[in-house]
Amino acid sequence: MAEMETCLTDITMQFPGTRALDRVSVTFRVDEVHGLIGENGAGKSTLVNILGGSLPPTSGSIAIGGESVRLKSPRDALLRGIAHVSQEGSLVAGLSGAENILLGAEPRRAGVIAAGKLRNDAAALVKRWFPQVVINLAEPVASLPVADRKVIEIVRALRGDIRLLILDEPTATLPAREKEQLWSIIRSLPRQSVGVILISHFLSEIKALSDRITVLRDGRHVVTEAAGRLSESQLVDLMLRRSGESGKSKEQAAAAARAEGAVALSVKGWRAGRLQVPQFHIRAGEIVGLIGLTGSGHFGFARSLYNPAGVHYESCEVGGRAVALHRARTMRDMGVALVPDHRMENALIGEWELRENLAMVHPQHAVLTTGVLSRRREESEAQRIMRLLNVKAHSSAQQLNTLSGGNKQKISIGKWLYGAGNRYKVMIFIEPTEGVDVGAKAEIYAEMRRLAGLGVAILIASSDLIEIETMADRVIPFVNQAAGPELTRAQFSESAFITAMSGESA
Amino acid sequence: MTSTSAGTAPSRDLVLGIVRKDHVQRYSTVVVLVLIFLIFAATVDRFLQPQNLLNIAQQISILTIVGVGLTFGFAAREMDLSVGFAVGLAGILVPLLLTKDVALPLALLAGIGAGLVIGGVNAALVTIVGIPSLIATLATASILFGISFILTGGRAIYGGLPEAYLWLGQGRVGGVPVLAILMLIAVIVAWFVMERTVFGRYIYAVGGNRKAAELSGINVRGYRIAALVVCAVFATVAGMLLASRLGSGQPNAGERYLLDGLATVFIGMTMLRPGTATVVGTFFGALFIGIINNGLNLLGMDTYIQSIVKGIIILTAVAVVSRTTKLNLL
Repeated sequence: MAEMETCLTDITMQFPGTRALDRVSVTFRVDEVHGLIGENGAGKSTLVNILGGSLPPTSGSIAIGGESVRLKSPRDALLRGIAHVSQEGSLVAGLSGAENILLGAEPRRAGVIAAGKLRNDAAALVKRWFPQVVINLAEPVASLPVADRKVIEIVRALRGDIRLLILDEPTATLPAREKEQLWSIIRSLPRQSVGVILISHFLSEIKALSDRITVLRDGRHVVTEAAGRLSESQLVDLMLRRSGESGKSKEQAAAAARAEGAVALSVKGWRAGRLQVPQFHIRAGEIVGLIGLTGSGHFGFARSLYNPAGVHYESCEVGGRAVALHRARTMRDMGVALVPDHRMENALIGEWELRENLAMVHPQHAVLTTGVLSRRREESEAQRIMRLLNVKAHSSAQQLNTLSGGNKQKISIGKWLYGAGNRYKVMIFIEPTEGVDVGAKAEIYAEMRRLAGLGVAILIASSDLIEIETMADRVIPFVNQAAGPELTRAQFSESAFITAMSGESA
Repeated sequence: MTSTSAGTAPSRDLVLGIVRKDHVQRYSTVVVLVLIFLIFAATVDRFLQPQNLLNIAQQISILTIVGVGLTFGFAAREMDLSVGFAVGLAGILVPLLLTKDVALPLALLAGIGAGLVIGGVNAALVTIVGIPSLIATLATASILFGISFILTGGRAIYGGLPEAYLWLGQGRVGGVPVLAILMLIAVIVAWFVMERTVFGRYIYAVGGNRKAAELSGINVRGYRIAALVVCAVFATVAGMLLASRLGSGQPNAGERYLLDGLATVFIGMTMLRPGTATVVGTFFGALFIGIINNGLNLLGMDTYIQSIVKGIIILTAVAVVSRTTKLNLL
């Protein structure tokens, strides 16, 4: 049996400031679909990235078929029989299904790609693995249904001698009617001696497809158990940390006090692409949470409020004033701030000093009447923000790149506090504690509460449900690009969130 | 007292390590430049004579002005490959107007106007049409080259240039070349704008992280346009001065300023803020090239050797920059 197993033993992954995995041991078999679940940040992606060869673990060992191995690159992992089909998809849109399946391994005749043989070989591969599937391999994949594209990706992944296939949220972007096909494909793989590691937010899917299920929480292994022995609600309990009950009632009282402020931002008839929000408002001092599954529109809505490329709306008012020309600059000048996700791409400049990063939005604060930027003034304001947010750095001249995730996030927030006075009425946070360690997380929460206490309307779009539960006064779940019925604090529970996010009635 | 945090700094050794590495990165190019200077001083007879040092200053001044313009472009992460022919075009347009008896101030304004037009066209192609600057300016370079030849019929413009105009490129004030003084003014003004005004800060932000700049409410398009216009205006100013120094308008004279100008910026990017174009860095880059050209000249090396040496210097600089930082130009 050992030759059919892939064993991870005591895998630890240490990132600067966070431990993504802490001595995790799991065994994956070739005759099973193995569900891997956990909240965002629980360590699922890190684990499969290590297994897929794109991330070397800090410590721990991997054994495949009883032989200890080191996976140095995705190519290395492939040669060992491990393939990874990522959530985003990796097909070349302009090429046909057949060309995508044999990308990089095209049959050649006299140095030229043999088009006929390529079509036949690709078709044969599809037939070998999934005889029941009918798929158009001649069309550019961009014009195919999403499920067909997923199948093509899977067939390509199976091109080599694969024993373990990692599927990351394979059905996240699929319309319901296309899911069935993919499900049957996933189920057929273990019968052909290809084990599947399935990552999915849909617990019903995990339950239906998996033979065994592993639960991760905060980078630790919680349990690995036969799927039949765990109910969905048990899975939810295992995924979520059960703590923080004590502070709740106090927060509830504070929330009630905040809920009566004036409307800070309101929109009507908001459309951005497929996203539709008929009505939304947030009051001064209120903390509103947006939740949803990947691609359901909660992040998209938060982003579109600030950077509205392709947005149509009936009305949009900030502090009672109608927004005329709606773009990032206008929103900023009307008093809306955005602390975006992926801070290094969207908010910060890694090569810059902390001081310069902090001064990015309002450098005017340090301008003297002569028009000169005063270093001294900039320095003292930067120091003030760094003290306010407890940024751990040896000086404001330190390069941003050298900070830990939590401190970077504090700078990303601090940008909007530097030289801002009380100008911001609304602050939008997207994944505010993404890649942030526990200590900094608490400080960021405290800062959000302080701002809310000052009358700033706080909008949080997050995939961290505990975060939403602790912070929000009310929650709007997004399902399939539309805002669902709002949840008030009395209705809060993580299982209620998950139910609301999956669009199933409670 | 620079410590800011109530908490402790991450780790003393690491911090020291970073600072040290930082300093090596920031100043190694200066050290190399000083070494080269000392080697020439020791081996080449006339190198250290004041007259020769002033010569170097004069020789690099036009190049520096082109390089400083390019620095604005690079800082906003826009590359302008049309500067060489912008130099060339201004270098014949202004003499041409002067030989047609246009008043000097008007002719100089026309030269600057040409820069505004060239920069404006480049910027429109880049920000409105959406062509990457590297490609758009390659095409406009070709167009400028064609226009220069149409204007002159391929011939140089000699004679009839007013004294006041020639003074700009050839005159001296108390022994110091006017060109060198103009260069210093350009460097100081540009340094001030880039390092001590909000305008410069925003240009750097747009080049440092366009997305972050946009989401910080910075008018990204506006600053990209500004960077390309400044770049072209500096190039045409350099062109006017070049024709004055040469005493004639030569349609081909600007060509070498593209490669040399890029070289000054690349060398500059290895120092101070590694990976970022800075005015002072570019000035050092021009000094670097000027000193090497001058030294090799005095040693009697011909221009082909100089060209090879220059190529090697550019490659070295770019290699240093792209290995230590992310060099992202397209």
